[in-house]
Amino acid sequence: MSGAVLVALLASCAPEGENTQPELILLSPREQLIRASVDLRGVHPSEEELLAIEASPGLYADFVDRYIDDPRFIERTREVFNQRFLTRTGSTYGQDPGGATGDQIAAAIGDEPLRLLSYIVDNDLPYSELVLAPYTVASPLLAEVWGLEREAGDGWTLAHYTDGRPEAGILTMNGVWFRYPSMGGNANRHRANAVSKMLLCDDYLSRPIVLNRAAVDQLTIDPEAAISENPGCQSCHATLDPLSAHFFGFFPTDLEDNTFDGVYRPEQEGNWRMYADKEPGFYGTPTNGIPELAAQLSDDPRFIDCAVQTVFEGFTQSSLDDDDWSRFQDLRAAFVDSNQSIRTTVRELVLSDAYRAAGSLDPDLDAQVSGVRVASPAQLSGIISGITGYSWQFNGTDGLLDYGTGLPVLLGGIDGDTVTERSYEPSVGAVFIQERLAQSAAWHVADHDLDPSRSDDARMLAYVTHDSRPDTDAEAFDTQIRSLYLQATGLPLDEDADEPEALAQLWEQLYALEASPTAAWAGVVSAVLRDPRVLTY
Amino acid sequence: MSISRRNLLSNAAALSALSAVGWHPSMARAAVGERKFIFFYAMGGWDTTAVFDPHHNSDYVDMEQDTLTETLGNLAFTGGQPRIFTSRFFSRWGNQTSIVNGIDAHSVGHASGRQFAMTGTSASSYPDWPTLLAATGQGDYPLPHIVFSGPNFPGNKGSAVVRAGGGTLLNLIDGSIVGASDMPAPVPSSPADSIVDAFVYDRVANFAGKRGGRAESLISNLDRAMEIEGRRFEAGLSDLGNSMLEQAIKASEMMRLGLSRCAMVGVPGGWDSHGDNTVQGLQFEDFFDALDQLMDHLATTPGLSSPWLIDEVTVVALSEFGRTPLLNGNGGKDHWPYNSALFVGSGVRGNRMIGKTDTGLIAQPIDFKTGLPADSGDMLGAEHVGAAILKLGGIDPESHLPGVQTLDALLKG
Repeated sequence: MSGAVLVALLASCAPEGENTQPELILLSPREQLIRASVDLRGVHPSEEELLAIEASPGLYADFVDRYIDDPRFIERTREVFNQRFLTRTGSTYGQDPGGATGDQIAAAIGDEPLRLLSYIVDNDLPYSELVLAPYTVASPLLAEVWGLEREAGDGWTLAHYTDGRPEAGILTMNGVWFRYPSMGGNANRHRANAVSKMLLCDDYLSRPIVLNRAAVDQLTIDPEAAISENPGCQSCHATLDPLSAHFFGFFPTDLEDNTFDGVYRPEQEGNWRMYADKEPGFYGTPTNGIPELAAQLSDDPRFIDCAVQTVFEGFTQSSLDDDDWSRFQDLRAAFVDSNQSIRTTVRELVLSDAYRAAGSLDPDLDAQVSGVRVASPAQLSGIISGITGYSWQFNGTDGLLDYGTGLPVLLGGIDGDTVTERSYEPSVGAVFIQERLAQSAAWHVADHDLDPSRSDDARMLAYVTHDSRPDTDAEAFDTQIRSLYLQATGLPLDEDADEPEALAQLWEQLYALEASPTAAWAGVVSAVLRDPRVLTY
Repeated sequence: MSISRRNLLSNAAALSALSAVGWHPSMARAAVGERKFIFFYAMGGWDTTAVFDPHHNSDYVDMEQDTLTETLGNLAFTGGQPRIFTSRFFSRWGNQTSIVNGIDAHSVGHASGRQFAMTGTSASSYPDWPTLLAATGQGDYPLPHIVFSGPNFPGNKGSAVVRAGGGTLLNLIDGSIVGASDMPAPVPSSPADSIVDAFVYDRVANFAGKRGGRAESLISNLDRAMEIEGRRFEAGLSDLGNSMLEQAIKASEMMRLGLSRCAMVGVPGGWDSHGDNTVQGLQFEDFFDALDQLMDHLATTPGLSSPWLIDEVTVVALSEFGRTPLLNGNGGKDHWPYNSALFVGSGVRGNRMIGKTDTGLIAQPIDFKTGLPADSGDMLGAEHVGAAILKLGGIDPESHLPGVQTLDALLKG
């Protein structure tokens, strides 16, 4: 049985003890587990896991717990929150300590805030630690780039800046303030808006400007006065400028163009007086420095809303709207009740009926929950690699993750700079990428598996050999093709499916053209890897 | 027998019947007579006074030295010795050109200004004008909106957008990327590719029929991909061009062949001229030199459904906002919330100045029917200009921007 399972069958599929919304049509247990696994780990489940969930649908929650404990879940949270923070841009910001490639330096710098998030998620700390942490995290390379004092250990460990800056997690990281620079008369407003966008999901620049003639005249003559006095300007600047005032330690007014050089200057913290002359504050409450700002921020209900919104949108591939109010409130309650645990919040989401639904008999509900998810560049890379063992490398890096190849954006991903919103609609670019990646991976599968001298296990073609032919080995072909589908999609073909026969014919056509069993099987495997259930989940 | 792709998707079972009558994706053709669009975008914010909105008689606007206000018919623009190519362009194509001034950009932030200029809103779910035109037009185009360079806001119509992505798109189309990785594979032969494509198409169509939504985008774009693969030599897709002019001409060729409805091409240059405003004039000169050559190409190339491409292609040039009237201390100009736009070609009421700014470069209310200043008129915003673009493309603006007036003065007839 494939596809959605009708409501009438739900009772036998739903995890025991859980109430399902009767109007929802849930995915089959296999499909549910595939969705959870791709969302939480970026790969398909193993066939053993799928057989287990098929036999006991009540194991779903156990699998979710296991997946959330999987190290790959941490990278998935980084990927989801990068869609909010946009710090992975591939830029080195001119840093080059020597001994590392530009890609390595850029990855280290762009990951600093996301690795702090990893530390929080890994240790199940409150999300507010993102701004309250009196430390940062660093890899050996990042520590070298910024001259940090880093705790011993492999990988990313706790670290501290040594230039006298106050430490408040993401608010005092070089990687963040290089990504969101501010110079000249802008006076940290770009940075203040970045804080608002990243942590409150509130973009000042998305607010329409409504200025009357008098305001425009005043802006022409004396812009700073207009910003301070005109109601139209004050609608944003009354709160933006006090927020901006916190960051003058990162705004070197003794340099010609105020370009941030990676050094915090405590002596310049009061330089807000030279610009908008608005004391540091957070939405009307005065603050004394960045740590107090962090405390105010983390107490703001919008801080919680924004974290939950990021989880919701990242793991459902949909924009939060009014129709999601009820689901959002459930998720928000889970976040608050768990002391701002990202793990618990994601778990709550993934266990919900709406997440596991294929659709609904209620048209309004159907519009909210139906539809397939589309794999991100990282997820597609993980899925194909998991199925075939093949990674699409170019110059030693994964082409689906390297912005320089152009592939991530063509597949609907972001580059954090020019493309900052994921596209969840498969485009022509996505179709071509799936096709060419499938062809590349399929060739390596066939070339490896059909090698008569092979001593290791087959990657996918375990039931046929170089000498198998459809007319003499019909049963082996049938078994092999069914196995290919199961491996590639995680879903068995129906008994009466026409794919085995159609692909056997395809094999013969390709063999007639290429006179090579390897080429023929590569074509067949590529056709299976281009199944829509590989790109979607 | 009339078969549209969308009808096809509503009944995947029809596929076998279609096979029997010899249906092929390439039968899905661009609707003849539908207007196509080439968008140019100057990233960073152009100085509207450098060409579109001359203010040589104002004490409140710093104009570039040695320039003067030139008039041609109803058009007035910044000309003179430093604007040879600009003057030539208007003298040759002015009767098909509208200049729109005094557009409220609603923002002086780059990202948000860009979004307003391109979508008329600040909401991220709204697609930009070219994406919307490409996604909701009557025709089926393999590369509905191709972004050579410049901004793109796909909104909820991302499946209509194809980013050229340097040379990567071409390597994907011709398959050469398969042989270019660290673990290369043989590039499948064309016949083998086609056989596999046909099998995959059938499966994806079935999937789309069952799952709808994004799955339908998948089959639509598989259809488009197959057509592009089949027509890549005809379309000259071995090279998408490097310069703005090459890319624009390539875009026009794709429109001639019914492959694309819209294209976005970035206008080169550092338009965010805080430090030195003299770059504006030089960049405009390069732009108008290229635009002149593009118009020549459009005027001498047969169209898809009209005698010449110029009869069915509209050229639109936009930027996110204007620049301050006065120079700052560095000889540059900063961000200014009043903007201009340029329209040339099919459907555009030519020889027309629309909108107005006063001596301080502040927009005046206008009559949207005539484009002329009117005390009882309304302030012109990016959304009103966008509504006119949609109308030019045959889309009812009300369906996308309810309650937003259309700048009818821009439209011919």
